[in-house]
Amino acid sequence: MMIKSHPGESLLYQYASGDLSAAMTLVVGTHVDMCKTCRQTVCEIEQKLCEENLDALVGVASTTMSKSQCDQMLEAIFASSACNKQAHQPNEILSLEGRRFTLPRTLAHNSHRIGEWSKLVGKLWRAPLTLDNGNQTNLIYMAPGAKVPEHTHKGQEATLVIDGVFNDEQSEYRDGDFILLDPSRTHTPETQDEDCLTLATLDAPLHFTSGISRLLNPFSQLFFR
Amino acid sequence: MQMVSGRTSKRGSMTTTQTDAADKAAELLSKIAENRSRAAFSELFRLFAPKLQSYATRQFGNEQTAMDLVQETMTNVWHKAHLFKPDRGSPSTWIFTIARNIRFDLLRKNKKRKDDISADELWPILSEQNDSLDDGYALDHDVLMQEISFYYAKLPDAQRVVIEKIYIEGKSQQEVSDALGVPLGTIKSRTRLALKKLKELIVDDD
Ligand SMILES: [Zn+2]
Repeated sequence: MMIKSHPGESLLYQYASGDLSAAMTLVVGTHVDMCKTCRQTVCEIEQKLCEENLDALVGVASTTMSKSQCDQMLEAIFASSACNKQAHQPNEILSLEGRRFTLPRTLAHNSHRIGEWSKLVGKLWRAPLTLDNGNQTNLIYMAPGAKVPEHTHKGQEATLVIDGVFNDEQSEYRDGDFILLDPSRTHTPETQDEDCLTLATLDAPLHFTSGISRLLNPFSQLFFR
Repeated sequence: MQMVSGRTSKRGSMTTTQTDAADKAAELLSKIAENRSRAAFSELFRLFAPKLQSYATRQFGNEQTAMDLVQETMTNVWHKAHLFKPDRGSPSTWIFTIARNIRFDLLRKNKKRKDDISADELWPILSEQNDSLDDGYALDHDVLMQEISFYYAKLPDAQRVVIEKIYIEGKSQQEVSDALGVPLGTIKSRTRLALKKLKELIVDDD
């Protein structure tokens, strides 16, 4: 099955340069883990960035760091110990509601950041993935037959399907599909017969737009943050 | 969410000088990894430190932070040289991605708290775990090896041959493409289809 929805090239470029937020880097990076096409593109972009930022500078050599600066730094490096700040062991299995999901690499490396699952409206579950001061992404699990009330996004939201399938008014999204939503678009994600695990960034709370679900707005930051 | 458009490979456009420089750097890295050679590292350092310094100065506009980036990047190169994989890209690209990660962390340093995420967690390029990305999400590799023989008979011939060469003979998709005289794209789609089929067979059987 082909992944049909990818991050745009400028987003991949910012990802490779290290210019995205931690949350967006995590979501784009997880897509890249799942997507050979984008992995290839990122390799090419990194190579290009390297050519522009490092390789192009053939002439600078002698003009900058002095001999003594170099020697000093070399000495410090040889004296340093291998920085084995023991990273958390990657855990690529996620169990939820009797289901086992295999997490892609970048997400598996951050599994220790996944917080408690809590049940939201309908057939939805959410677990925060805390990145840094005040920032997080969310893992969202939609059981079969789940429906998120129609809403818009006040900020830019990226959603990545880790496993399963969901659809909105526009299309159907499956494993690896990356969806970028902007504030101008309302949508109503739902699952049919299958369930779906997604990873989503959210800059601002959802804004519910239709009928009775508007009553949820005052509480929306409790649902998706 | 645009479709990824076709783009040209940059590798073909490398000049001879660049290729020579890349070979030289790769050789130095392997000496560092194998013998902990300080001489090889010093030579590599003289090749890259000024470039890194120039990159960092433009990024930070601050001499001291720029020197920090050079030192931290090259410290990683010294200790992690064994993680450089020549088949994945050039030495300078590898060093650049390390510098990119250091820059990401340095930019957040003032605000950073103890448990905050670091670039190494976002781009696990220096992870000792040698996680393969090749069939990554499609199927767990061990499960594949254990359960494959039974289900595998149910695959169409064309797909089975590809899976056999990749997972049993350990060939790359490019090698399979060359061996069978079939375009790489076809090999990729056969692999994908076969893995999907296998996944369905295994799941249905649960
Ligand atoms: Zn992609």
